[in-house]
Amino acid sequence: MRRIVSISLTTLLVALLAWGAAQSGLLRYNSYMSDPAPRELDERIVELFMERYPDIRVEHSTVTHEDFKQALRTYLVASPPPDVLTWFAGERMRFFTRAGLIADITDVWTDNDWTDAYSAGAQAMSRDDGAFYFIPQSYYWWAVYYRTDIYEEVGLPIPETWDEFLANCRALDAAGYIPVTIGTRFRWPAGGWFDYLNMRVNGPDFHIRLLDGLESYESEEVRNTFAHWEQAIDAGCFIDNPSSYNWQEAAEFMVQREAGMYLMGQFIMDVVPEEEQAHFDFFRFPIIDPDMPIGEDAPTDGWFISANAANMENATLFAEFLGSREVAEMWARDLGRLVLRTDIDTSIYTDTQRKGAELLQSADYIAQFYDRDTPEELADRGMDAFVEFMANPGALDRILADLQREAERVFAARE
Amino acid sequence: MPHHRLAPLSFLLLPLGLYLVWVIYPTFATMVLAFTNWDGISPSYDWVGFTNFERLFGDRVFWRSLANNVRWVAVFVTIPLALGLSLALALNRNVRFDRFLKIAYYLPMVLAFVVIGLVWAWIYHPRQGLINSTLFSLLSVAQSLGFDVNPAAARRIGWLGDPNLAMWSIIAAATWQHVGYVMILYLAGLKTVNTELLDAGQVDGASPWQLFRYVTFPQLAPVTTIVLVITVIQSLRAFDLVYVMTRGGPFNSSNVLANFMYIEAFMNYNMGYGAAIAVVLFLISVGFIAIYLYRVVQQEER
Repeated sequence: MRRIVSISLTTLLVALLAWGAAQSGLLRYNSYMSDPAPRELDERIVELFMERYPDIRVEHSTVTHEDFKQALRTYLVASPPPDVLTWFAGERMRFFTRAGLIADITDVWTDNDWTDAYSAGAQAMSRDDGAFYFIPQSYYWWAVYYRTDIYEEVGLPIPETWDEFLANCRALDAAGYIPVTIGTRFRWPAGGWFDYLNMRVNGPDFHIRLLDGLESYESEEVRNTFAHWEQAIDAGCFIDNPSSYNWQEAAEFMVQREAGMYLMGQFIMDVVPEEEQAHFDFFRFPIIDPDMPIGEDAPTDGWFISANAANMENATLFAEFLGSREVAEMWARDLGRLVLRTDIDTSIYTDTQRKGAELLQSADYIAQFYDRDTPEELADRGMDAFVEFMANPGALDRILADLQREAERVFAARE
Repeated sequence: MPHHRLAPLSFLLLPLGLYLVWVIYPTFATMVLAFTNWDGISPSYDWVGFTNFERLFGDRVFWRSLANNVRWVAVFVTIPLALGLSLALALNRNVRFDRFLKIAYYLPMVLAFVVIGLVWAWIYHPRQGLINSTLFSLLSVAQSLGFDVNPAAARRIGWLGDPNLAMWSIIAAATWQHVGYVMILYLAGLKTVNTELLDAGQVDGASPWQLFRYVTFPQLAPVTTIVLVITVIQSLRAFDLVYVMTRGGPFNSSNVLANFMYIEAFMNYNMGYGAAIAVVLFLISVGFIAIYLYRVVQQEER
């Protein structure tokens, strides 16, 4: 009996090893494109790649966005880690390059002439210490999305100043609409509000200095930012209980024609049904201090290869494909994102994309986003602070004191 | 060594080895990590002494989480215990459909915490959730009857989004699940209650309350001890429901130590800080387990 067991075990082992060897054409790709529209495109890109390279079998796993962000570190220290992964450019990428977990793909960049093809901004976001680590996919603008039919019905102008914005809130509230919807269950939409208010009140330069730990959260400037935020709360702008909803659920209020506005990235359109899309438009976040330069949030997404990828050759082929003009065009055409390659004819842009691109071109500074521009650990406390402030503006002094203490600790540990 | 003394040892070897690798070693490794600043991915780390603990005791989130764990224990040792015992007493009297009722009350215990969290998150949803929709309908009826109420107000109750309600809403969901478990334990306990004593008490003219208080309940003491210990441990290791329903939010108002530890260790890459939280949680748990063991030993000696 024991003999039979050992023989069958050995056979199984041999079979497994043989199978592993035969799988040299494997590529493991982990993606956070979990909303239906981006997911569909993501899958189409993988299929197209497999058509081009029939010898390579892509093992494509999609994990929901929020879970992916948390699990990424676990993926990267697994042995072997997934070969190619979706991620954010800039600081969030550099966290992992510093830990030696992202492969240097400077060769891919030079061999494919990406240094000519990609915009200077995209290149800077993909670099750390002079070497390239990132494959930029696309970027998108943030803006105040609004329902044109509600604005028309209530007879509201597009607000250009803060006072006009607050007046619109009051008018929408009086007309029985939720003026501004926001879902802060996963907190980051509140980070968008902080980014815009702080950039509009104190300018992008101060904003980035704050996020780099060079200014204090207890400064007069930051207090002034929150004073404006409180004006919006007092004007009845925001939906009740924002932390009950994730960002998609909050968008649902606009789709259902209950809410008038939502400060969101262009990807909001990914979750708006096609028949409703005609009622959606966007405007620049209102100007608060006309003397300040204009900063906008426009995060860059993309991919990287694990430093310890088991299928490095296939991963490189995939990276070249992902960074190609052909794929870059797909993101622009199918999801309305903005391209980062300069060799793409922007005549493929729709009017909406052109409007978004102009919004960014006319800005003086492009920020990524609160939780991409400041250390992630501090962003966690910061976004908690913003959500708490929205629920309890009276506790501002304590909230800012706590946050500043955390900021000092995080930046001291980085030295 | 005689053969018969070696045999049990060889049987124990495998489980002991596994226990050593999967329980003892990680416990000590965590304690060591608590004195480092390891981020969970870097190959190296520095020793930082008691820095993590100093930071922990000055961290508002820690005290908030600890207070929530205490709330959880306080609710858990009272409500599910009382409800579970009452149900067990009621269903122990051969009422009609008692099998069906027992299964119905026990059923939540079969569900995974994650499933319970998701289902209750739907029930609590401010707009489409069962509770607020029911309240909305009730208020609408009241309004049509001429009462001065605003049905729309029902939709504004954020069971999981309101910092004052979130913790209690989660505990309520946990209670719903725990009652059935307590009931089953007491039902089993009631089978061991000596009926002769009950009969004797009845003959002596004891009231039903006296019978319960002085005859049944004392005989259930061993079960009560087990229920209490399980309940306290359940409260301290509360994690799944919190993680699924609110992730500790809004702004940590429903955070508990286990979730706080998870977020620091696995989301914020503070493995050392997370380990320090784990050590504190471990010490608290050991305190309760020590009390329990002490009582068990005392009872056995008697």
